[in-house]
Amino acid sequence: MSTDTTTPATPDDVVAIFRRVLQREDVAPDSDFFQLGGDSLIATRVLSAVARAHGVELTFDEFLLAPTPDGLAQRITAAR
Amino acid sequence: MKGRRETRTAVVVGAGLAGLTAATGLAARGIGVTVLEARDRVGGRTHGIEVAPGRWIDAGAAYLGDRHTELLALLGELGLKTTPTAMLGASRFALGAARGGEPTTRDGRFPPLNAVALGDLFELLDELTTTVRPEAPWLTPGAERLDTLTAAEWAEQHLTHPDARLFFPLFLGEMMAADPAAVSVLHLAFYLRSGGGLRYLNAFEGGAQQDRIAGGAHLVCERLADRLGARVRLGEPVRAVHQDADGVTALTAHGSYRADVAVLALPPVLADAIEHRPGLPLRRAGERTARGCAVKASLVYPAPVWRDHGLSGWSVNARGPLLSTVDDTPPEGRPGVLTGFVTGAEAHRFAALDPAQQREAAARQAAQLFPMLPEPIGCHITDWVNEPYSQGCYAALLGPGDWLRHGPALTAPSGRVHWAGTETSTAYFGLMEGAIRSGHRVVAEILARG
Repeated sequence: MSTDTTTPATPDDVVAIFRRVLQREDVAPDSDFFQLGGDSLIATRVLSAVARAHGVELTFDEFLLAPTPDGLAQRITAAR
Repeated sequence: MKGRRETRTAVVVGAGLAGLTAATGLAARGIGVTVLEARDRVGGRTHGIEVAPGRWIDAGAAYLGDRHTELLALLGELGLKTTPTAMLGASRFALGAARGGEPTTRDGRFPPLNAVALGDLFELLDELTTTVRPEAPWLTPGAERLDTLTAAEWAEQHLTHPDARLFFPLFLGEMMAADPAAVSVLHLAFYLRSGGGLRYLNAFEGGAQQDRIAGGAHLVCERLADRLGARVRLGEPVRAVHQDADGVTALTAHGSYRADVAVLALPPVLADAIEHRPGLPLRRAGERTARGCAVKASLVYPAPVWRDHGLSGWSVNARGPLLSTVDDTPPEGRPGVLTGFVTGAEAHRFAALDPAQQREAAARQAAQLFPMLPEPIGCHITDWVNEPYSQGCYAALLGPGDWLRHGPALTAPSGRVHWAGTETSTAYFGLMEGAIRSGHRVVAEILARG
């Protein structure tokens, strides 16, 4: 797994992660993770994938405050 | 074409869900059945406790979800209803002295641990779960390696963060009542997959713990047994099963029962404890097959007072005996019942205490977690590990070597003997759903004999 700390995270990067862990394709940049059927267990898998791909460790509470690809991409970019 | 069936009678050993599903299915197709049960009750690993007049809790198997289609169909047929597992409010977590010692309160069920570390753990587990071949785990790519390694060894190799190392055994205890040292990685991966994957198996709402059976899970077996009436014989532990050219004989302390075929609906270690003549080509349990390690401790209070404090009753604890607790209050709302799960290695330690010490330890820990609790008015401890006619719960734990050696013959009949029980179902292994499916499979096998 490569850690990319040079390019900013795009909502599409996070959309791809949501699609993989939720096992569904209908994910948009403004989709709410929990409304798509996500729960706290798979939310941690998103945070793990974000850390591997972007070198940013977000907390569970940060995830709860921004549970959309748009929101998370902003937090990832802000955290770098 | 034969004008008449050659298989007309069956003796079923074990009056749990698997045995009774098989027996009622065979009886419905005109086969004469006798069910032999060692205990003085039916139900196996389902067992009801009446905590107040007409108010029942489950001392054993309790939960189901919407994927448990055979169980749901059976409930419908028997006129039984489900009741949701309400989980409103915040959880309590006591995850070790390093974290201040005192329990902390958080919304939802997510523990106050490093989320990325737990996510790394779940990503690894998901990868294992996706790799395994659920209908034939022994054919999984890399099965030899996965069957050699224990889950504890795997964790040692793959988990670096202390929070992941802390949480892994708690998670395994909750999911499958296993000490990580007792199960192979292949069994861990299989179990998670068999139950519907990590998320389904872990979830209450939308998952495998969504509902309970109204009035108690034991009602399923009781209603099935009612249909069979005098064909179910209690207090008849089977000590031997002898096969010959014409039939099979099950021997108990009180007599012998002759039939065309036998169904052994027992956990694998109990099936091996029976004297088989001729001997089985392969034992049912492997050298490392261990007992599922679950003790359920249910504390009864006049009311579920934690709810008045915004708490769900759910807790997760690094130290035992109660590694997790759940609100088990009957749907009527009184009395309040807090059930603690003592699982994995902790179950053996707890089981060694005398009953008074067990009650004291459980009540003391509950009071630390939920300081608003009064003294309990009742306490029911069910030690499944040392229950002679279960020898473990939720299910047998397959250790290194077991799946590769025993998997291929999991359901193959040995002559006139057919095998049932939740441990013979690759779908929903270890759950009530798996037990029922194994019963249906055996009915089909026996009808196919002609």
